[in-house]
Amino acid sequence: MLAAVAITLPRWPLIGRRAELEIFEKALCSDERAGLLIHGPAGVGKTRLADECREWAAASGHPTEHVTGSRTTALLPLGAVVALLAAGLGRPDPDGQVNMVALFEETRRALDERHHGRRLVTVADDASLLDAASLALLGYLAAQGTIFLIATVRSGEPVPDLLTGLWRDGRVERVDLEDLSRTQLDTLLHLALGGPIEAGAGREFWEVTTGNPLYVHELVLGALGSGALVERSGVWHLEDRLPATSRLLDLVEQRIGDLSAEARSVVELLALCQPLELGHLETAAPVGVLESLERAGLVTIAVADGEVRLAHPLHGEVIRAAMPRLRARAILLAEAERLETSYPADGPAALRIAVWRLDAGGRPDPDVLVRGAYLARDAHDFRVVRRLIEAVPGEQLDAAGALLLGEALYELGVFDEAERVLALGQEQPSSEHVALRLAVTRSKNAHWGLCQPETALAINAGARAVITAPPLAEQLVADEAAVLMFSGHPDRALAVLERIVGHDQRTRVVRAIVGAVALAVTGRTADAVTTAEAGFADHTALGDELAIAHPATHVINQVFALTEAGRLAEAEQLARAGAEIVASQRVPIAQIWFAANLGRVATLQGRVATARRYYAEAAGLALLNRFGGPRRMALSGLALAHAMLGQTDAAAQALAERATVPAFGFLGPEQQLADAWTAVVSRRPREAAQHLRSAAAQAASTGHRVTESWLLHDLMRTCGEDTSARLRELAGVCDSPLVAARARHAVAARARDARGLADAAGDFEAQGAMLLAAEAASGAAEAFSRAGDRRAATAARRRASALGADCEGAVTPGLVPEAAVPLTGREREIAMLAAEGMASKDIAERLYLSVRTVDNHLQHAYAKLGVSSRAGLARALGSGT
Amino acid sequence: MTPEQITLVQSSFARLGPELPALATRFYQELFGRDPALRALFTTDLAVQKVRFAEKLAEIVRAMPRLGELLGHTHALGARHVGYGVRAVDYRTVGDALLAALAAVLGDSFDAPTREAWDIAYNLMAETMLEGAASARPLGSR
Repeated sequence: MLAAVAITLPRWPLIGRRAELEIFEKALCSDERAGLLIHGPAGVGKTRLADECREWAAASGHPTEHVTGSRTTALLPLGAVVALLAAGLGRPDPDGQVNMVALFEETRRALDERHHGRRLVTVADDASLLDAASLALLGYLAAQGTIFLIATVRSGEPVPDLLTGLWRDGRVERVDLEDLSRTQLDTLLHLALGGPIEAGAGREFWEVTTGNPLYVHELVLGALGSGALVERSGVWHLEDRLPATSRLLDLVEQRIGDLSAEARSVVELLALCQPLELGHLETAAPVGVLESLERAGLVTIAVADGEVRLAHPLHGEVIRAAMPRLRARAILLAEAERLETSYPADGPAALRIAVWRLDAGGRPDPDVLVRGAYLARDAHDFRVVRRLIEAVPGEQLDAAGALLLGEALYELGVFDEAERVLALGQEQPSSEHVALRLAVTRSKNAHWGLCQPETALAINAGARAVITAPPLAEQLVADEAAVLMFSGHPDRALAVLERIVGHDQRTRVVRAIVGAVALAVTGRTADAVTTAEAGFADHTALGDELAIAHPATHVINQVFALTEAGRLAEAEQLARAGAEIVASQRVPIAQIWFAANLGRVATLQGRVATARRYYAEAAGLALLNRFGGPRRMALSGLALAHAMLGQTDAAAQALAERATVPAFGFLGPEQQLADAWTAVVSRRPREAAQHLRSAAAQAASTGHRVTESWLLHDLMRTCGEDTSARLRELAGVCDSPLVAARARHAVAARARDARGLADAAGDFEAQGAMLLAAEAASGAAEAFSRAGDRRAATAARRRASALGADCEGAVTPGLVPEAAVPLTGREREIAMLAAEGMASKDIAERLYLSVRTVDNHLQHAYAKLGVSSRAGLARALGSGT
Repeated sequence: MTPEQITLVQSSFARLGPELPALATRFYQELFGRDPALRALFTTDLAVQKVRFAEKLAEIVRAMPRLGELLGHTHALGARHVGYGVRAVDYRTVGDALLAALAAVLGDSFDAPTREAWDIAYNLMAETMLEGAASARPLGSR
């Protein structure tokens, strides 16, 4: 039986939140602000504050709306924001796709029109439970000024990146709510009960609730209902102990457990399907029941639109958790049927129906599932794509559906299953577009997922036999080139790309993905950078279509091209920015590539410990997401970094782990750096040289020119082998300053040309390649010293050690350990005084020496330290002699 | 609040007696010392203001045991303060100033239980004034 409530409250008092409410009012009145983020623990009053904000907005003439995230609505993209889809679900194109950008834009226009440009104040309760597409839509509408977003996020739940981003940009205000203080609790009790409370009872409320407002609310209403809290001569007393539960959830459960059967059926209906119209609920339960539920603070009825919902998300959680599965299923299916008979099938209600059917374990309309899957795919939410398409009955899965599912499976790393689904899809009748994408996706899965480039080429050839007309045929040619490029044949890839004559945007995009890498690795780095940039622009303009890689791929290519061009700082900066974006969008493959490229850049920069960290991250992500090829490459980089740090065992261990992963041709010659350097650090120089020579030969035969220069340069660095002739040739055919610097280094080293080595050090340093610069400077020191120029030798040695200091503990054969600066005691004493700015005369007086003796000592110190002025002396002595 | 706390507030206020103007003076000193910017919100002559403050406080303390009557006073008072440009955060400053003034004027008799009673009483006043303010705020004003 629903407990009778002793007193009727106009409204539960709002205590301690007025300042936050003012923050909202101010934000809403400012066009600079797009929303308010309310953050805090469960029961602290986030929903209540959001409701107050909404009411204030409504009273001041703003239209308002309410969306709630839940595990149920998260099942279907945009399922939570159905109420906002003023323009419907968007019209799918002939291939069944919905253009997300167009849908968002239509929604914006429809809302602006409906509300005459007034911002729609939208409460998103439990925003961290919203699906990615819903969040994207809310973010878009907020940024456009169509809605003002009030989002609540429970402590411990992730704050959606979208909100963090808006907050960081100053577009969203954030308030962090805390439980009430003892004083605030007293005020709350006083106002809720309408008079003073006996001291012991007040203390007990404080001890049990520690000021959590929802807890207080549940407890007070519960105690009033059970008769534990009673008024005698104007003062409230506790006749009974408060319920001995320490958990808010238990308390809510207890309160809901006390409801009558009729009241219970109402809250259950709301927990699954809210919001519901008052009129509908009135047919389901007597009016009195609804009234008593409202009085008990369990449901709220919006005056404006007569929508009924549960007063608090926690109530919904408790009710759903306690509901038998079969009962939930029956309610959901009944509601779905009711909506189906009263709303058009293609309106927003279709989404709600599908959500309910899905949640009930039933069979929603396959059309709605597929459309939802497209939306999820646009939001890169492949888990949802998979769940939705797998709910489509097998016999109803057409080629387009198979493509969606196959792609999702590939992205999720379920390669065998992806191969099966995509092969089945190819057997279905389909448009040429879909047929093309099936072929491209299947070949990508075979190549990248299953690590079988030969299979991928066969799939590609099969498709080319069927699809022969441009422009689609040309995309298959681009795909062939992709397989060749990423299995270690850049020269052949470039030759295949030559066969493409078409220029439509999609072809350009696919072409750029392969072309940028191929150009970079073959030594045309400037073209590679431009190609990657143009590819990104084209891809963005094209919209994100199926069967083309993520747009971030172009950014990864640009990073790679910049690295090959020796523009290391630019490469690093771009990669970091890109990594942050794809991490927030959860695109594992792009995350892996950014991490691996950051490792690569750090290796060339000589920041070997950083390189180790990035490669380890890439290897971990690749393992987690089951990408064999990238994992193999990351493990190669990891072994290389370990070896350069002198960590013999760890390097060998990384190589051993790599041996468990199938071979992968992309940048194959570069991967052998790992074997070579592990041999170097294990003091097996002949083996190292063999690895480097054979890898260089392989690179030469496949067109990996920049890689070849890296390998040959390392052959010189680690084994002292003269590779200058070929390095010069490579510098002649590559536009990369890094390749040129390597050649210059090798040529000068061969000639023991001290100046040339110092210049090479300068070149490397300018590119940010500090380890190579340090090694070249070290070589210069030796050459100067051989030529008898002691001062220049010392200067070069100092430079080498300064550059080496940036290399995070790298130990390579080319780095000469720094000799202690060989000043005598007297030289040091005099040098220190001179460095402090004391004149020779004063030094002489102080040390009882002649000025001449002082100058002699100083000259020796200058020569030994490789400096020529007192300022230089100060620098040299200041940096740790 | 407990009945004992209501009694404490009323009895300590009664003890002020002729010192009530001194409390008002001290209150404004404490208030403007804490936030000089608040002075600009008071347009009336401060001497008049002090008298009003003392009268209002006396009314509210008197009404303390009867919530309905208390709300009648505080809601109206809060609504009026919106017009003065008082914000929610200012209420904290006012409370600190009031407690400091009471401590200064009452001296040793302002002991810990009395302070706690006043702290709770003031919070009740402030929250209900803010309630009154909320219903009176010019809506949608830009």
